[in-house]
Amino acid sequence: MLELIGLHRRFGDTVALDGVSFTVPSGALIGFVGRNGAGKTTAMRIAMGVLQADAGEVRFRGEPVGMLDHRRFGYMPEERGLYPRMRVLEQLAYLGRLHGLTKDDASARGRDLFARLQVEASLTDRVEALSLGNQQRVQLAAAMIHAPEVLVLDEPFSGLDPTGVDVLADVLLEEARGRGVPVVFSSHQLDLVERLCDGVVLIDRGRIVANGTIAALRRSRSRDLLQIDVAGAADRWWEVVPGAALEEQTPGGVVLALSKDADPQRLLDVARAQGDVTHFARVEKSLAELFREFVDEDTAA
Amino acid sequence: MSIGATGTDRGAWRLVAARDFRVRLRERSFIVSTLINLAVISVLIVLRGVSGGGVPTFQLGVVGQSPAADRLASAQGLGTVRVRIVAFDDAAGAIEALRSGGVDAVLDGTSLTGLHTIPAPLHLGLQAAEASLRIEGVIVALGGDADDVAAVSDPTPLDAGVLEAGGPNRDQNGAIAFIGVLLLYGQLFGYGVWVASGVIEEKTSRVVEMLLSTIHARQLMLGKIAGIGLLGLAQLAFISTFAISLAIAVGVIDVPGTAIGAAGLVLGYFVLGYAFYASLFAVAGALVSRMEELQNALVPINLVILVSFIISVGALDDPDGTLVRIASILPTSAALAMPVRIVLGSAAAWEIALSVGLMLSAAAAFVPLAGRLYAGAVLRTGTRVKLRDAWRAAA
Repeated sequence: MLELIGLHRRFGDTVALDGVSFTVPSGALIGFVGRNGAGKTTAMRIAMGVLQADAGEVRFRGEPVGMLDHRRFGYMPEERGLYPRMRVLEQLAYLGRLHGLTKDDASARGRDLFARLQVEASLTDRVEALSLGNQQRVQLAAAMIHAPEVLVLDEPFSGLDPTGVDVLADVLLEEARGRGVPVVFSSHQLDLVERLCDGVVLIDRGRIVANGTIAALRRSRSRDLLQIDVAGAADRWWEVVPGAALEEQTPGGVVLALSKDADPQRLLDVARAQGDVTHFARVEKSLAELFREFVDEDTAA
Repeated sequence: MSIGATGTDRGAWRLVAARDFRVRLRERSFIVSTLINLAVISVLIVLRGVSGGGVPTFQLGVVGQSPAADRLASAQGLGTVRVRIVAFDDAAGAIEALRSGGVDAVLDGTSLTGLHTIPAPLHLGLQAAEASLRIEGVIVALGGDADDVAAVSDPTPLDAGVLEAGGPNRDQNGAIAFIGVLLLYGQLFGYGVWVASGVIEEKTSRVVEMLLSTIHARQLMLGKIAGIGLLGLAQLAFISTFAISLAIAVGVIDVPGTAIGAAGLVLGYFVLGYAFYASLFAVAGALVSRMEELQNALVPINLVILVSFIISVGALDDPDGTLVRIASILPTSAALAMPVRIVLGSAAAWEIALSVGLMLSAAAAFVPLAGRLYAGAVLRTGTRVKLRDAWRAAA
């Protein structure tokens, strides 16, 4: 498991990280989300040793991480990073050797990953000649060339078409489930994070504002939401039920926010007294909505 | 704490160096620059061969045998004329060669024939050789022994000397020094720019971020400098070998020792000069984010190398001038100015030792400083990084 503990980092007068701590358990896929400039890339660079922290520590399997340990990690930088004019296999082999592989092993792994990631190109093509999607697959192959023990991926899905997203998602799940690799990736595609990840770490203005499974994040919000559609109901009919408040007016009815002491059954009774209830269901907040709430709270704080 | 400070792999820079060497070896610009270098040097050497620098050389047609011609041809040590004998079986063939320009004059027994004129050094040399042969004959006829014969046949009975010696072969050495300094200038500047643009390539393609997750910034910089420098050294060695072989083949130089020594100097001073300049080029590359900005960032370094080059070309005429002597000792210009003075025989041993010592110390002091600036700047894209910010970022 990979642990980031109390990371601080300033750039001049700007505080990029203000005590960032979170854990990526072995075999888990963790989504790292936050607005642009929230500190995701800085935290990932520090985890990879590309950048030094002013304070704090990165640990892997309980031990502090040094440069030789970083070589066992796999990294995909946000703005990508391959030599445009180098040929695909040559490039993968070179990066593999920097990670400590022998020449032959690096080439063999390069070929395997090339096939596994379904790159539609030739191993001897120059990287610049590949489509962006294929370049991205090669980039992931570069991150995985040495069968890394940790994967740190900055925006791995951005710019991929749906097929590419599926291939990449499958590979990441295989790495996590099959080899027990801790995988952390940042993304703005929150639906994807919701679908794939075991846990979410939400960062805002250099601080972690939420951390846990999506279900736990939902539960941590005090209010439940109910969508209720009643035909011919009176205005503000729900006000007789204590703890129910209007969240949102929808075309067929309303979304009500219930405080913890509000009784949904009582609400249903009141609704049925008003007319035919055509819809009565709990509204699951999407990650995107949760994200907005957490960030708004943080900004207001 | 400092993440990444524990544990290093000191061999990783070699992988970087090997990649930079290999990739650039196959690059068009490398092949083109090698060819241009060879072409320029070939032109310089061949022009010099045609304009006949140094000792005049003549082709002498000889019909049958001529002891006088043999004597002159074997006494090349005189240093005023060189004679190559072209043997003919009959006079007709020799005259035909004279008309077609194949030989400069024809010696048939005791008759010496030219086309329009007989070149004076050849004429005088042959007359002197014939005269000394006849005198030797008389001495033998009078009962003189071998010592007496040897006494008159000494080709240089006079000790020749000049009041203000320019050193042996000064003219020829000047040419060698000029070619050497031209090569050094092109090589130091060209390979320095390659280091800078290589750094920018890694910066703009962001591959540097991949690399820095496996290797320290300083090692990455040193590996790049070493790989590109080795290629520069190999190219220089190849060009020097080619130039010396060509010069010998066309007869421009008759003392290959000096040329080989000069080539050694060029290689040595390339290593010294490159060690000094390359880390500066690497920092310049790290400070900017786009190739277009590189020119501006390079202006100060450019200027230093260009001024050094101009002073060094001036040194060809006056290797003992004060400015030249200072320039040959300062590390900023010694790589170009000192080899010129050495080839022209004007540098004292202590001056050479001092300049080499200063260059090595300057390079040793610069590399760690440059490493820190490079590490502080290489991850920052966007606007040009200020030196102060780069310095503090890597703290």
